[in-house]
Amino acid sequence: MDVSDLRKNAKLEIDGQPYVVVDFQFVKPGKGQGLYKCKIKNMITGAVLDRTWRSGERLEAANVESRKMQYLYSTGESFTFMDSSTFEQVELAADIVGSDANFLLDNLDCDILFYNERPVGLSMSSHVVMEIVEAEPGVKGDTATGVTKQAKVSTGYEIQVPLFIKVGERVKIDTRTGAYVERVNN
Amino acid sequence: MTSDRSGDGLPWSERVALWDAALESVRRYLRAEGMREVSTPVRVAGVAVEPFIEPLTAPPGYLATSPEMVMKRLLCRGSGSIFQVSHVFRASEVGAHHSEEFHLIEWYRLGAPLAVARGDVESLVDAAFAAARRDPVASWSTFGVMELIEETLGCALRGDEEAEELAQESARCGLPLHVAGLDDPSPEVRRLAAWTAFISEWSDAHLDPWLELRGGGVHVCDFPPALAALSEIREVDGCALAARFESFVDGVELANGYQELRDPAEQAARFAAVAGLRRAHGAPALPVDEGFLADLRGFGLPACAGVALGLDRLLMLAVGATRLGQVSTALSVAGRLDA
Repeated sequence: MDVSDLRKNAKLEIDGQPYVVVDFQFVKPGKGQGLYKCKIKNMITGAVLDRTWRSGERLEAANVESRKMQYLYSTGESFTFMDSSTFEQVELAADIVGSDANFLLDNLDCDILFYNERPVGLSMSSHVVMEIVEAEPGVKGDTATGVTKQAKVSTGYEIQVPLFIKVGERVKIDTRTGAYVERVNN
Repeated sequence: MTSDRSGDGLPWSERVALWDAALESVRRYLRAEGMREVSTPVRVAGVAVEPFIEPLTAPPGYLATSPEMVMKRLLCRGSGSIFQVSHVFRASEVGAHHSEEFHLIEWYRLGAPLAVARGDVESLVDAAFAAARRDPVASWSTFGVMELIEETLGCALRGDEEAEELAQESARCGLPLHVAGLDDPSPEVRRLAAWTAFISEWSDAHLDPWLELRGGGVHVCDFPPALAALSEIREVDGCALAARFESFVDGVELANGYQELRDPAEQAARFAAVAGLRRAHGAPALPVDEGFLADLRGFGLPACAGVALGLDRLLMLAVGATRLGQVSTALSVAGRLDA
């Protein structure tokens, strides 16, 4: 692809690694060559780099696709997902799944990323709803805002929640930050 | 979906009101200064050949990248001082402050020095800001390019360095130039290649951050002769410098002005150097507008100052927006509007 085809979310292959353009700025300082200043994210490691290309340069588009799959189970070292229409199963190593493992509930729908037809990454929705399985009891009368306590959700992930949250209640969690968002009423 | 708002930016009705008020006040100012409004073709046989401006083709010609050539031919033929608000097109320029199609306010004042043209820029900015009910730019200052290079880069350049010397000096000051054309057989092409690359790298690394930090209105003037483009070269304190300026508001480049070059032989030589640099970069060859050169030779261009000012960017600044798409009225365009 030509550098002028760069835009947000374009997928590029650089040194054998797939990258996605997360931020993009076109400038022409001093009437010189156009510069395409990009922030690119390695789609496997998540590392973000700054790269600048000049007009006229050529880039390699990455052969990347994403497929909806369901989370099945984990062995601890790997995580298995299934395409519910073809029943095809794929495995992702624990270090690729990383902290997303905290939010992987059985049968959760995820997007599995394939690079050159090899599963290389996982992207999940920005929020998940999980059940609280352990929490200290709230202290009656303590209504100060911003005060939190430790709680545990069904995957074993530990999270800070407001004092009024009780065992058995469901909460919405932001998967990008891992933080509590709100209580979900049935 | 029908909505009064366009996702992000001014509501459509406010955009229409903004453009209406701004166009009216721009025209009122330029007419009051004794300029006549002209309207020249958008589809042209040849464009002003620039190293890094690519025209969109419109067979058998091009969409104008600027109305400069045609307006100068009118000046040669006795138009007197003129202005135009024109649609111009530049291929592949898409970003927060770039669009493949945009509006230039272009004006030429007979017999005027560049200081008057800079005053016009300030007045037009005031007019547009007033149309958007925004306070005028607090202050304007004027700096020489060579002085700013020395201040920000710590590198005292004269402006007439040859390509090799400039590349060495620049690298010594921490700004290495990696650019095609430095090994071209023509010294004019080498000089243009080196200075174009230098000013671009320096602007990106030093001038733009300096302008953003400073804010307000800034005119940058007296460019190295290699970057004269279509401007005259004259002596400033014993140094030959181009009678050219660029104007910025809050770090955004708005306008570019020239004491217009009138010598047809010099003009043809500059076009040839630009064509050489385009070749070195592998850019497509563009035809020289022979009608323009013939008019420079036959009728002669009267002494004048000319300026081009980007109206879309001006309105973006006037309403405190950060992207052209937030003030544009373009509901249906071919090609991408914004990144």
